[in-house]
Amino acid sequence: MNTVERVPAPRSYLEEGYGLRSWLTTHDHKRIAILYGIGITFFFFLGGLAAALIRWELVTPAGDLMSAETYNKTFTFHGVVMVWFFLIPSIPATLGNFLLPLMIGARDVAFPRLNLFSWYLYVVGGLFTLLCLLLGGVDTGWTFYTPFSTMFSNSNVMLVVVGVFVVGFSSIFTGLNFIVTVHTMRAPGMTWMRLPLFVWAMYAVALVMMLATPVLAMTLALIGLERLFGVGIFDPALGGDPVLFQHFFWFYSHPAVYIMILPAMGVVSELITNGARRRIFGYKFMVWAIIGIAVVGFLVWGHHMFVAGQSMYASIVFSILSFIIAVPSAIKVFNWTATLYRGDISFDAPMLYALGFVGLFMLGGLTGLFLAATALDVNLTDTYFVVAHFHYIMVGGAVMAYLGGIHYWWPKITGRLYSEAWARFAAILMFFGFNLTFFPQYILGYEGMPRRYHEYLPQFQVWNVLSSAGATILGAAYLLPLFYLAWSLRHGARAGPNPWDATGLEWTVPSPPPLHNFDEAPEVTEGPYAYRR
Amino acid sequence: MNARAARPQRTHRSGPRPPSLASNLWTLAALLVLLALSAGSALLRLGPFNAVANLGIAAVKASLVLGIFMRLKSDNALLRIVASAGFAWLAVMIALALADVLTRTPLPVPW
Amino acid sequence: MNARPHPVPEQFDDPVQQREAATLGMWAFLATEILFFGVLFAGYTLCRVRFPDAFAEGSRHTDMLLGTLETAVLLTSSCAAALSVREVQLGGRRLASALLAATAALGVAFLVMHGFEYVAEYREGLMPAIHYTQQGVHARGMEIFYCLYYFITGFHSIHVMVGVVLMLVMAGRTWRRAYDADYHTPLELTALYWHLVDIVWIFVYPLVYLVGRAG
Repeated sequence: MNTVERVPAPRSYLEEGYGLRSWLTTHDHKRIAILYGIGITFFFFLGGLAAALIRWELVTPAGDLMSAETYNKTFTFHGVVMVWFFLIPSIPATLGNFLLPLMIGARDVAFPRLNLFSWYLYVVGGLFTLLCLLLGGVDTGWTFYTPFSTMFSNSNVMLVVVGVFVVGFSSIFTGLNFIVTVHTMRAPGMTWMRLPLFVWAMYAVALVMMLATPVLAMTLALIGLERLFGVGIFDPALGGDPVLFQHFFWFYSHPAVYIMILPAMGVVSELITNGARRRIFGYKFMVWAIIGIAVVGFLVWGHHMFVAGQSMYASIVFSILSFIIAVPSAIKVFNWTATLYRGDISFDAPMLYALGFVGLFMLGGLTGLFLAATALDVNLTDTYFVVAHFHYIMVGGAVMAYLGGIHYWWPKITGRLYSEAWARFAAILMFFGFNLTFFPQYILGYEGMPRRYHEYLPQFQVWNVLSSAGATILGAAYLLPLFYLAWSLRHGARAGPNPWDATGLEWTVPSPPPLHNFDEAPEVTEGPYAYRR
Repeated sequence: MNARAARPQRTHRSGPRPPSLASNLWTLAALLVLLALSAGSALLRLGPFNAVANLGIAAVKASLVLGIFMRLKSDNALLRIVASAGFAWLAVMIALALADVLTRTPLPVPW
Repeated sequence: MNARPHPVPEQFDDPVQQREAATLGMWAFLATEILFFGVLFAGYTLCRVRFPDAFAEGSRHTDMLLGTLETAVLLTSSCAAALSVREVQLGGRRLASALLAATAALGVAFLVMHGFEYVAEYREGLMPAIHYTQQGVHARGMEIFYCLYYFITGFHSIHVMVGVVLMLVMAGRTWRRAYDADYHTPLELTALYWHLVDIVWIFVYPLVYLVGRAG
């Protein structure tokens, strides 16, 4: 720390220019991260609003708040926005962009202009999606299953397909930037086995983004062409194969789940080591588990198609592969718990989020095994059990980790400390609200309530009311950080360079960091997480 | 700028050395011969081996372009890995999707 | 900083790091292109498995002579692109610009020949949704073949057009001495892109033009 205090504090990246223009033309990875942060926060609350509408509709068995068609458009909008405009860019584009160069000791990502260009692609994609909403929305579900999306739907499929196509390239370019940055820009001494696990997670996620997203892009282009010309390869009436569409779609969309959860795992590894003040247990196992999840994640997509007409033999293969991917996931959970063992555990807000993540991810992951079993899945497909399962992973997992990461690195990003009491309160409220929302949905699904209907049998009402009540609490808990974090920007105490007493190169520079991060190229001499124990 | 001198300064002249003119021209000749072979073999009645021969020749042609024209043979090993990752992932996609279509109860044709 | 004609962007330590990053980035992009086209090839494979006879019939309706010529043209253009990079590395400016212009010209020749194919197919009624007049047992299966044909060759032609523009830009810059033996990374990357477009066509050729030619 001495070196930082000796020289006069260098100008931080936030002081490099104040006008809108200085932000919209910036090449600084830290500013681009903040631009992304603003975008995804907007879409998160927009998608959340759609979720609230869904839950309010489901308070009563009758479809009284909205028509079936409006309901279809609402859940489609919720899915599209949350998947492509919040979850996929959430951790990589904000925390990843901000931290990756800092963590490996680089001055910026390898291609700063491309980085800014990705953000503009994200914005353009988002505008198409908003335009689609304004013009009446789309009713295909976020999966765009053919032939409904190509031949029958009368809603604005084209607009949203263009929007997702464009935002796909944003994610491809982000991935490309990360891969090249990690390969070529590491500081002297920052060997592969000294990389923080967050960097490993970003590397793996970049790999998945690059190898999966082009498939989505071309598949969406095929939908667009088929819709435009009325001929193509997916329409069964013309001899095409709608299951072929599902193969292509899930070749992207299953790995996309790992685009959401791998960064979360990276964040949690940082949070838990700092919160327990211990080295990570089994660093190498953690690295190989990350890579294993990224690679095997490409081989399991068929488990979305057990009842879609896929061959029984293919289903068996996909089922077995899906069980295999539970192994690296379990290794990670075991290693996090082992890291906590005999740790000096603090219960600061980031740690609360991290501990919440581990529990919720485990529940979501274990119920994933139920769904990977072909026999059981026949009963559970398209019920609320599936909805609960993937929300435990994506909301309980990815969003908890994202918020935990935002809290943990907030002092680094803004140079300010937030109110710890409020932050803890919000984290605990979120955990309870989340479980109240989604645990009842496991029971509903197990009892056979199908998803994607705006009305249901009266016998399901109790659990639905509980779920909607939980959603209200969850919504309130999500709004809280908006206020106390904004408050901290002006009134929070100044954070030193290292308020958490953490290891890692990002904590060796001032908070907020200067434009090019490091005055001198750092020299790395030891592995990550050099905590006392 | 001085602070950055943690690594020895290196210059631009570090990529793969330019290949010889002959190697490029021989590669082109080989590609054109393979093209003729491919067209010729397609006219022979070989049954399923027509497809095998054609795709095999295409694979050889592609690896010639990759190895010589794109200099994968002499450049960084990492680039070879990246290039093969693209093809490998495509192979996975085709293989697993094909595993479904080949073992599925065939869809009745609608006409 | 010493006076180098090509300044290294501030995020890089030295030119070597810059070149490594640029080539790796390009190759990573090419891997995404492989998967982008790969969807079409996968769709082709799965549909051909279901309608082998219709695909053979459809392929017999394509113009094998033009297809072969187009392949030869693209292969030659690839060689010209590779030679231009070599020439720049050896310090030759005029010949390099000429080779780049030749590459672009061959690309245009490819596009023109392909345009003739499209026109002929339109006249024959082989264009699904626009002008499709085929009859007989294989008519519907052939429609799927021709859908894939237009998707694949269409996306490929767009890539060739982009490549032609890039090649012309590179030819101009080389002529104006923007690249020399020390620094020519953009030229190298453009050539890589062009070769990949060529590789895509190497696989298009047997899959579109050569199915069911015997018998």
